[in-house]
Amino acid sequence: MNIIVLVKQVPDPEALVEIAASGKDLNIEPKFAINLFDEFALEEALRLKEKHGGSVKAIGLGGPKAIEALRTAIAMGADEAVLIEDESFAARDGYDTAFVLSRALQKEAFDIILSGRQAIDRDRAEVPQMVAQFLGLPHVGVIVKLDVADGKATAESALEGVAEVIEVGLPAIFTAQKGLNEPRVPLITGVMKAMKVQIPRVTLTDLGVSKDAGQKTSVLRYLPPKKRPAVQFIEGEPAQAAREIVRILADVERAI
Amino acid sequence: MDTIVIFVETKGDEIRKASLELLCEGARLAAGGKFTLEAVCCGVLPETVKQRLLTMAPKVVHLTDACLAAYSPEGYAYAVAGYAKEVGATIIMAGATGIGRDFFPRVAVMLDAGMISDATQANWDNDPMTFVRPQFGGKVFAEVSFRSPVVVTIRPNSFSLEMPEGIKGEYVEKPAAIPEGVVRTKLLRRAEAKEGTVDLTEADLIVAGGRGLKAAENFKLLEDLAALIGATVGATRSVVDAKWRDQADQIGKSGKTVSPKLYIGAGISGAIHHIMGMDTSKVVVAINRDANAIIFNYANYGIVGDLFDVLPAMTEEIRKRKEKG
Ligand SMILES: Cc1cc2nc3c(=O)[nH]c(=O)nc-3n(C[C@H](O)[C@H](O)[C@H](O)COP(=O)(O)OP(=O)(O)OC[C@H]3O[C@@H](n4cnc5c(N)ncnc54)[C@H](O)[C@@H]3O)c2cc1C
Ligand SMILES: Nc1ncnc2c1ncn2[C@@H]1O[C@H](COP(=O)(O)O)[C@@H](O)[C@H]1O
Repeated sequence: MNIIVLVKQVPDPEALVEIAASGKDLNIEPKFAINLFDEFALEEALRLKEKHGGSVKAIGLGGPKAIEALRTAIAMGADEAVLIEDESFAARDGYDTAFVLSRALQKEAFDIILSGRQAIDRDRAEVPQMVAQFLGLPHVGVIVKLDVADGKATAESALEGVAEVIEVGLPAIFTAQKGLNEPRVPLITGVMKAMKVQIPRVTLTDLGVSKDAGQKTSVLRYLPPKKRPAVQFIEGEPAQAAREIVRILADVERAI
Repeated sequence: MDTIVIFVETKGDEIRKASLELLCEGARLAAGGKFTLEAVCCGVLPETVKQRLLTMAPKVVHLTDACLAAYSPEGYAYAVAGYAKEVGATIIMAGATGIGRDFFPRVAVMLDAGMISDATQANWDNDPMTFVRPQFGGKVFAEVSFRSPVVVTIRPNSFSLEMPEGIKGEYVEKPAAIPEGVVRTKLLRRAEAKEGTVDLTEADLIVAGGRGLKAAENFKLLEDLAALIGATVGATRSVVDAKWRDQADQIGKSGKTVSPKLYIGAGISGAIHHIMGMDTSKVVVAINRDANAIIFNYANYGIVGDLFDVLPAMTEEIRKRKEKG
């Protein structure tokens, strides 16, 4: 079974994100991590390989730094990785990302593509479904369980909160949700291997993608979140405080 | 005139709230004369739902096909994209529900259109028109412009629910004519939904609990309060990881993003990963015995105290008020 995992490098969830003075860019603290949900995807791919044999290959689109996320994938146990290196293109919209990834995937032979359900930087949750459409493949989104047998997969999807069991023929794309598994921590031998391995880099020219076309959507500017007024503490004994907060919620905020 | 197609999601005899919000916003826009509005639904459409929709949209299009009886991303995308193309829609919108976010990216590719996911604001009158969407878990918002057509999902609770009046819609039934082989996923079974509870992502009122509740059974305190005001119960990741609550109840970066009118959090420290999932809530009340808990930085109202005293007292107070009427 050949499995491909889409791996995105994202700023660390704790990294500071600030709006640049121009309002048109973000200043992001340079701390990086593999996207949280992509770790579940990788783990699932490795478990499928352990069960059914085959290989796991990680593919990412990003700047030169993104090689680190792919090294992590190798350290966890992926057999191969490839970086589509283009800093500026990686910063474009979801459509463009999906287009480039699908171009790269067209050159691959696979039974399964696993991805995260959402990249926690741009929070789009759209790339894998778009890749599926570009490649003419079915997808099952937000999965918490995956079984494969006889060229078919049975996945449990948590799309709407209630579990749905869905059957699909392979090849197909699945997007991983928390709960699918517990991602492994790379062993030291894996880390050593990852440090030594040569990860090939591919350019957009190699994939025949032109950079000239404008984006379909573009960020005009960034805005800070609306600030909440300073907290108003409700004083008093529990019974008193309860009476006061209920009065406020009912009569002032009209929320209950 | 630009045509907006709104995908209307129904659930049994109900129209999902996220869709109602879009219909309300759409009706306001249509009244402004700049847009033509079409409401599109797929699959089974009960008569009561149909009649209700006809009071909310000038045109209700029911796309029919045997394939559409159950949701599938391929079937729904085929039907909605096909219709949007046929009428030359410039904006195609859905609520950012699980389903909306699952199949709309496919619609975007089918229409060769850009996509704006999980927007929380629309600036219809700006030039260029823009949508605003949170990124980095709400640490920043991006104002996004687009080339038409564009495919957009809107986070529930972003548009106000003021029902339009005086609309008498036209009903059109249209076969989606989905070719054999388009839909390749098959729904084998679905777990029973919890009766009568609104999903967190669409809930108006949420009471959430953290590790301060100490044990699974203490969530009864939240359940009691929630039942009284019609709220949905949520939880932090620590609570879910401890198996006190289901994964479906988790709010935050690796859980659900919620946007209720009122969020009450008890025994929650306010880690950034949790805040990212609830910071667009309108009114936030935090109950924590630690006056320095971070969650107070993100709250409108704070009560410093033991939740085991405060929660039952609140429940009791609301009950008394209800009895008085
Ligand atoms: C990559 C990543 C993703 C994450 N994603 C999420 C996510 O999606 N959602 C999420 O919630 N977390 C997430 N987390 C975890 C997050 O960082 C916090 O660890 C978690 O939110 C803490 O949960 P808590 O507030 O319940 O517990 P704690 O931080 O332990 O807080 C418990 C609070 O209860 C108070 N308390 C205790 N007893 C009482 C009492 N009797 N009365 C009143 N108050 C009391 C304490 O003062 C304390 O403030 C994530 C972490 C990482 C690293
Ligand atoms: N630049 C990228 N490189 C590799 N995979 C990506 C990239 N962008 C998105 N993905 C995959 O698509 C998933 C969802 O991303 P998104 O649609 O951007 O929220 C991620 O979890 C990744 O698995």
